[in-house]
Amino acid sequence: MRKKVVLGVFTVGALVGGILSTKAFAQTDRELTPEEEMRLVQEFNRMLAEGVNPGEIWYEVGKAAIKKYNLDKCDLGLGPGVFKGAAAQLPRYFADAGKVMDLETRVGWCLQKYAGMTQEQVLKFVRECWGKTGNCVSEYDGIIMYLTMESNGHKINVNLKDPHVKKMFEIGKQIYYARLGPWDFNCATCHAGTKEVRIRATRLWSADRPGEAGQAVSIFPKYLVRWGLPMTMHYRYAECIRQMRWPEFIPHSDLGVALSTYLYGLANGTEIKAPGIGR
Amino acid sequence: MKKGLILTGLFVLVAGVVQAQQKKVQPKKEQAVKQEEVMQVLKSGLSSDPRFAWKIKQDEAQRICSQYPSREEMPASAVQKVIQLSQAEIKYPQWGIYMGDWKEGKKLVDSPRGGRYASYGFSDEPTDKGGNCYACHLIEKGQPGGTMGPNLYQYGKRWGITKENLNSPETIEKIKAVYNIVYNSWSAFPCSSMPRFGYHGVFSPEDVANIVAFLLHPDSPVNK
Repeated sequence: MRKKVVLGVFTVGALVGGILSTKAFAQTDRELTPEEEMRLVQEFNRMLAEGVNPGEIWYEVGKAAIKKYNLDKCDLGLGPGVFKGAAAQLPRYFADAGKVMDLETRVGWCLQKYAGMTQEQVLKFVRECWGKTGNCVSEYDGIIMYLTMESNGHKINVNLKDPHVKKMFEIGKQIYYARLGPWDFNCATCHAGTKEVRIRATRLWSADRPGEAGQAVSIFPKYLVRWGLPMTMHYRYAECIRQMRWPEFIPHSDLGVALSTYLYGLANGTEIKAPGIGR
Repeated sequence: MKKGLILTGLFVLVAGVVQAQQKKVQPKKEQAVKQEEVMQVLKSGLSSDPRFAWKIKQDEAQRICSQYPSREEMPASAVQKVIQLSQAEIKYPQWGIYMGDWKEGKKLVDSPRGGRYASYGFSDEPTDKGGNCYACHLIEKGQPGGTMGPNLYQYGKRWGITKENLNSPETIEKIKAVYNIVYNSWSAFPCSSMPRFGYHGVFSPEDVANIVAFLLHPDSPVNK
């Protein structure tokens, strides 16, 4: 049964991969022509209607990668190798590392400890598919997908009573409002306020409208039709920060942890439903 | 006539300040974490590529704006300070205020590219120069745009600029008022979401003059 599902997903994946590698979705994230945009939207709608999410392919990739990199020893806070529901209680404070970590930062820590990677190697591993469009499957994306999907159905439950976590939440909140860079943006420029606004055709979620932060983060990693791969939260931060014209984001940094602590803290109580799907 | 316009401008400004005062909102409550620590965490997560070090030097106006979730919650003193800082920073073209070339302005308004860089790709070219104005504004009729900023369709018409009064002193004053907004939006709308394009050098004074012409000139498609 499982095999059949996987096979089916792979067929769709190959199909999608084929479509994505066509000229319409060439190498850069340039702005699409209206025809390309229409095609993309149709493709996206079809997948939604059929309940197909190619992002699920990465679950199996991650399952294999976790064995390969000895991550079954990794403790996400519920004990070594206990992954069911573990992602839902992150970020949290880890005494062994002496700091608050979110899912991705913790996986990076475990890769150093159990797979013998250096910090540099981890960062390379994380960014393997960054900037790529079509036919890029990275083991890191798989690991994050697997670990998140193991928490599907669990409600996000960040322990804001822990003073370490609470402090990171406050730092994240202030970063959210820090105006910086040559375009004067902060996170709140786009994702705050009670008035609903659009950037071109895209409706923006807001931290100030109840439930929307939860809806936004509970579906990550999110499969992006235009790139043909799932986007993890830290990749999402990097892309936001690129568009804000700030210097490039470093994954697994405290900046990432602070943002995660704030956003997942706001999202407390929302059920995890990974992978999401978007254009 | 000129006096009337200036008076109106003053009135709008004063009204804004009074409104902010009436709200009597407290400045943000005492912070649990220090500002320096926040900035340290923030900067620790950004590339230390020396080419971009200038990007993360927070200026005084940005520091003030970072303290308030929205302009409505700013005390009058903060509003005044940001306006004062911003007005002092405005530079004009070497010929002073003039009606620029709207066709050149249109290119800058239309282009979504400029300033974005990441080593993993998806970067703009160093020579790309665009305001990505449609992301937030509706401008030309029939062109899809965002709703974060005000609708600018027929902006020049709304300012009452026609072919007949194009060279009048009143029109020059109007061009200057719009120039100030595009060059440094915070001089009129403190802590607005709109980037301070001229202040940061995204656009030169001449570029700003061309963009203003695109918005105001009676021949521009904006005013058709």
